[in-house]
Amino acid sequence: MESVIKVYPNQYYDSVQLMFITSALKKKQGITTVLVAMGTQANKEIFIDIGMNSKSVGEAGPNDMIIGVSALDQATCDQAIEEAQALLKAEGAAVEDKTSYSSVKSAVQANNKANLCIISVPGEYAKAEAIKALNSGLHTLIFSDNVPLEDEREIKLLAQEKGLLCMGPDCGVANINGKSFLVGSIVRKGPIGICAASGVGLQEVSVLVHEAGSGISQGIGTGGKDLKDKVGGLTMLSGIDALEKDEETKVIVLISRKPESKSLESVLDRVAKCVKPVIICFMGCEKEEILKSGAVYAHNLEAAARKALSLAGIVLEEADPEKVQELADAHATAMSKEQKYVRGLFCGGTFVEEAMVAMREDIGDIYSNAPLSEEFKLGKATVSYKNSVVDYGDEEFTMSRPHPVIDTEPRAMGIIREANDPETAVMLLDFVLGPAVNSDPVGSVINNIKEAMKIVSDRGGKLAVVASVCGTEADPQKRSLQQEMLREAGVIVCHDNYQAALLAGKMIKSKMRRA
Amino acid sequence: MQNKIDELFKSELVVVNIGPKMFGDAVRKQGAEVIQVDWKPLAGGDKEMIAILEALGGI
Repeated sequence: MESVIKVYPNQYYDSVQLMFITSALKKKQGITTVLVAMGTQANKEIFIDIGMNSKSVGEAGPNDMIIGVSALDQATCDQAIEEAQALLKAEGAAVEDKTSYSSVKSAVQANNKANLCIISVPGEYAKAEAIKALNSGLHTLIFSDNVPLEDEREIKLLAQEKGLLCMGPDCGVANINGKSFLVGSIVRKGPIGICAASGVGLQEVSVLVHEAGSGISQGIGTGGKDLKDKVGGLTMLSGIDALEKDEETKVIVLISRKPESKSLESVLDRVAKCVKPVIICFMGCEKEEILKSGAVYAHNLEAAARKALSLAGIVLEEADPEKVQELADAHATAMSKEQKYVRGLFCGGTFVEEAMVAMREDIGDIYSNAPLSEEFKLGKATVSYKNSVVDYGDEEFTMSRPHPVIDTEPRAMGIIREANDPETAVMLLDFVLGPAVNSDPVGSVINNIKEAMKIVSDRGGKLAVVASVCGTEADPQKRSLQQEMLREAGVIVCHDNYQAALLAGKMIKSKMRRA
Repeated sequence: MQNKIDELFKSELVVVNIGPKMFGDAVRKQGAEVIQVDWKPLAGGDKEMIAILEALGGI
């Protein structure tokens, strides 16, 4: 085994570009380990963890790029380094010293109509950039994560003081004035305003609303940690204020995983005073607690969309329970004796929670790397146990790779791994579309799905693959084309994630009855 | 103070993008004006030096 580490002083590239290059090189034959990253402290620790601990790595700074490769022989290492350089050159990715705008200040000076700032720098620098943007009078949308909660509160208090909107940190999806931001889908404008502490939650409800013919007035992402008590729900509170005031918004939908107690209380107090109808989908909260605020309770994302649409005068048809049962029974009959369990492989964190809650009634507790209860936590996310659902967006998978909505490789490998387990009966998948995610999420794993089905059928069984596509016809990938590709491969495509999980759970229950 | 958010909702978006170009490009393709800031850590990422520069108000 040979290793080569090269440090390129004063060559700055953004982390997403370098992650793509790392992913591209990982696919090359003969390469065992590769990492292309800037020399930040966090990245240097990863280099040490993967056995690339050299003096040059130790001395590298955040403006220096590091390429580290381990391969079977020296020639493969050299080739990989050359390829990395070629890829960087091809993308024209290097940030040159002479750029038009090197700071928020100069950008705003050049265009005084600037009104919104997207910040996606490494977490440790996000606060400084956010403060500069707010002080320049810009509303902010902060994609960066790993920002301490105290800093998040400080940023949000400054935004509040200035009357500006602060979405994030850790905000992956937003829709402002009909424009989709970050990894969100393209949806039409309409009467439903959403404020969400869950990116995929905001996206799923927006997509369901769009597909039913209505639209979104504004989709405010608060960032995943807004409803932690150390932050206090500051963005959700200002989001409710803004949507209540906004003339175009007729119905307000609030979405989050279970908020912490004080933040929940503040939000519910505010909702109680809101003059517009509010639908709340806070997963894991008691229905009675929500109802006391005068809000409409939604137990999952699909129900939130359904109830919002109903208030906007549109009926979203529910799946016929008898037909769902028939479909579940038909698939369970074809399975082999060994096939017992559901294996969920997800990109969207909130989809994991929605799926587990949907299936729990039929199949009981489910193991996960993000379980509903800590006793069901998987030791290792890549080793499933009984009924398991894995969030591929979890840190374990995204330390040195892009999020699975962009980089589909880790999940593609997971699909084959699960198929090789004779106990796998049902595979449950989500696919997320949008202008800034993978250009062909289904196409990039469809061969793995076909191979997985073949592996199981060669063993004498039948693998049921159940999926949903979160996206619209307006997205570059087109929802219908992605769904069609799945159907052609024999995948059962459901209307939404909740319906997909419900069907998967019923298949397992039906199989258990037959055992 | 809410007026500024209400004003944003009624305005044409002019977006400053700090970080990966792909996020700016995705918004530009939807018809919004995007100004790219080619960000890199100041002062080689030296936090003490950054703090001094910020205190001087030069950035």
